[in-house]
Amino acid sequence: MARTLTLIEAVNEALLQEMERDERVFLLGEDIGGSGGVFKATAGLLDKFGQDRVLDTPLAEGAIIAVAIGSSLVGWRPVAEIQFADFITPAMDQIIQQASKLRYRSAGGFSCHLTIRVCCGGGGGSGLYHSQENAMWFAHEPGLKVVMPSTAYDAKGLLLSAIRDPDPVIFFEHKRLYRTAKGEVPEGDYTVPIGPAAVRREGRDLTILTYGSLTQPSIDAAGQLAQKGVEAEVVEIRTLAPIDKETILNSVRKTSKVLIVHEDKRTMGFGAELAAIVSEEAFEDLDGPIVRVTGPDVPAIPFAPPLDKAWNVDTGAIVATAEKLAAY
Amino acid sequence: MPPKSSRAVTDKSPGTTARSPELLLGIYRLLLKCRISDEKARILFRQGKYGGNFYSAVGQEATNVGAAYGLRDDDWIAPSHRDWTSNIIKGAPLKFCFAQLFAKATSPDRGRSSPAHMGYPPLNVITPASSIAGQLSVGTGVAFGLKKHGRDSVVVAFFGDGATSTGTFHEALNFAGVHKLPCLYVCANNRWAESVPLRLQTALENLSDRAKAYGFPGVTVDGNDVLAVHDAAQAAVTRARAGEGPTLLECKTYRWYGHSEIDPAKYRTKEEVEGWKKKCPLAAFEKQLLDKKILTEAQKGQIASEITAEINAAVEFAEESPYPDASELADHVWAERGA
Repeated sequence: MARTLTLIEAVNEALLQEMERDERVFLLGEDIGGSGGVFKATAGLLDKFGQDRVLDTPLAEGAIIAVAIGSSLVGWRPVAEIQFADFITPAMDQIIQQASKLRYRSAGGFSCHLTIRVCCGGGGGSGLYHSQENAMWFAHEPGLKVVMPSTAYDAKGLLLSAIRDPDPVIFFEHKRLYRTAKGEVPEGDYTVPIGPAAVRREGRDLTILTYGSLTQPSIDAAGQLAQKGVEAEVVEIRTLAPIDKETILNSVRKTSKVLIVHEDKRTMGFGAELAAIVSEEAFEDLDGPIVRVTGPDVPAIPFAPPLDKAWNVDTGAIVATAEKLAAY
Repeated sequence: MPPKSSRAVTDKSPGTTARSPELLLGIYRLLLKCRISDEKARILFRQGKYGGNFYSAVGQEATNVGAAYGLRDDDWIAPSHRDWTSNIIKGAPLKFCFAQLFAKATSPDRGRSSPAHMGYPPLNVITPASSIAGQLSVGTGVAFGLKKHGRDSVVVAFFGDGATSTGTFHEALNFAGVHKLPCLYVCANNRWAESVPLRLQTALENLSDRAKAYGFPGVTVDGNDVLAVHDAAQAAVTRARAGEGPTLLECKTYRWYGHSEIDPAKYRTKEEVEGWKKKCPLAAFEKQLLDKKILTEAQKGQIASEITAEINAAVEFAEESPYPDASELADHVWAERGA
């Protein structure tokens, strides 16, 4: 039976069901127990599973990830929470130098079976340090897997895949989607595989490559474009690493035009990698420049409402850029 | 109530009395094995037999051997770059230790890490990264996982004085204190972090004082007195196995050579180095055993020649082993790309 859940409810349900299914799974992070998480992603889990499995940690992101890594070496399946993506930097040594490389540097002798849930993205008025969307930092590090769902269905299915995955998976949850992304979610166990992108709308005139919070605006834009006679295909890259090149390239070969849309900053952003892949592997199929609609090259989303709003990539911007590209 | 913390133990160790000759000779053999292996590793590097670098721990053997001697197979060691010999102490075959230096396909990591950064998964020695204090992080996590299983295994994490300045050190030890983890943090305080002297590293006289901040005991011992280290470590391990939590053990010692084999260590005075060489941990222990007639000159020669033969065979094994094939480059990045 499927019912309608929000993305955050889907996350909560995935955690609960996987903890029931697998005793090796435990949660650790700041404020995840007593308070149920800043956004309530872990609400109710402390009461159900107790402190041994829902651990409020000291305020130290490096230690959170360190304990996840170390406990995974002795058979546990930790799911760590980083409360805000902005605060993941103190744990970068543990993520980049330990988690991503331990399997490689021991030739498979040790490995990190762990999941790091990260709340990310602009939420409207969250300010510089509660709004960053930095998933691409981690997509640059082989050894990690990087996932960002935009639907409630995918949130549950991908999180279950992440927790069962033998490699370190960084699972980004966009705070704006927590309660705005709603959809049918099966009650039972299912997984969405890590890797494959999803074609959210089919079209022949151009391909929109996007992920995270701009998936739905891109789908909305495609709807508006259709009314103007432009059929856009929307490909959601649910997994930033590993990248599903096949789905991307198949779409590009069909439409010959590419628009990349993401919330994160432009320069060296994930879109740059997507553009490079398309250019290297489908150059002959292109019939126009690869263009991007992205966040600006500003350190992070500022607090004042007009500045916050000015960052946002909205449906209108996607439509306008897509029209120009379609006419190219 | 927090346990008595920050005891700076300066008592003389009880010496060789009331200990079995087997234990004493076992420790002696291991001290000698570490010394000869480490010196051999230096020679091989200088002969150009392998590249990269080597981080000698000659002069510090009593710290590593004293702390890790007698650990069980199910215990863990989290070594730093200077603890290549911790693999030997844990029982890794020498041939793999030398294959590691040579980056051969027969090394535990198939030639991935640089020479001294060795782990040995079958005996729970964690392959180290180069980031200082990172092993304290991972080791603390392992200790958490062990305790969560209800096992009585322990983790011994090795690091130098420099590592105590990092935030990682603080985060790891604080976490261990909160959860009373079965972890022994062994600081080889060799007075120099690469070229930076201790007085620029800390305002403390004893680094074990830091334990007070984490609510568990800190103990300072003469790191060149193998029995003093061993006694303190055994007390800490017993505490840890009993669920009483971690210990910070500071071992005051000295590295005879530079930070690495390419460091002539001109920042230290000759007098300082020579003074410490007179406090050689191996020579001191050997003299104790000879004086008490636990060790004879004949035995001494016999043990040394056995170790040398084992090392020679290990070096031969390493030299004759193939390098990993270039086709292995992308193996073991993710699970599905295992070999």
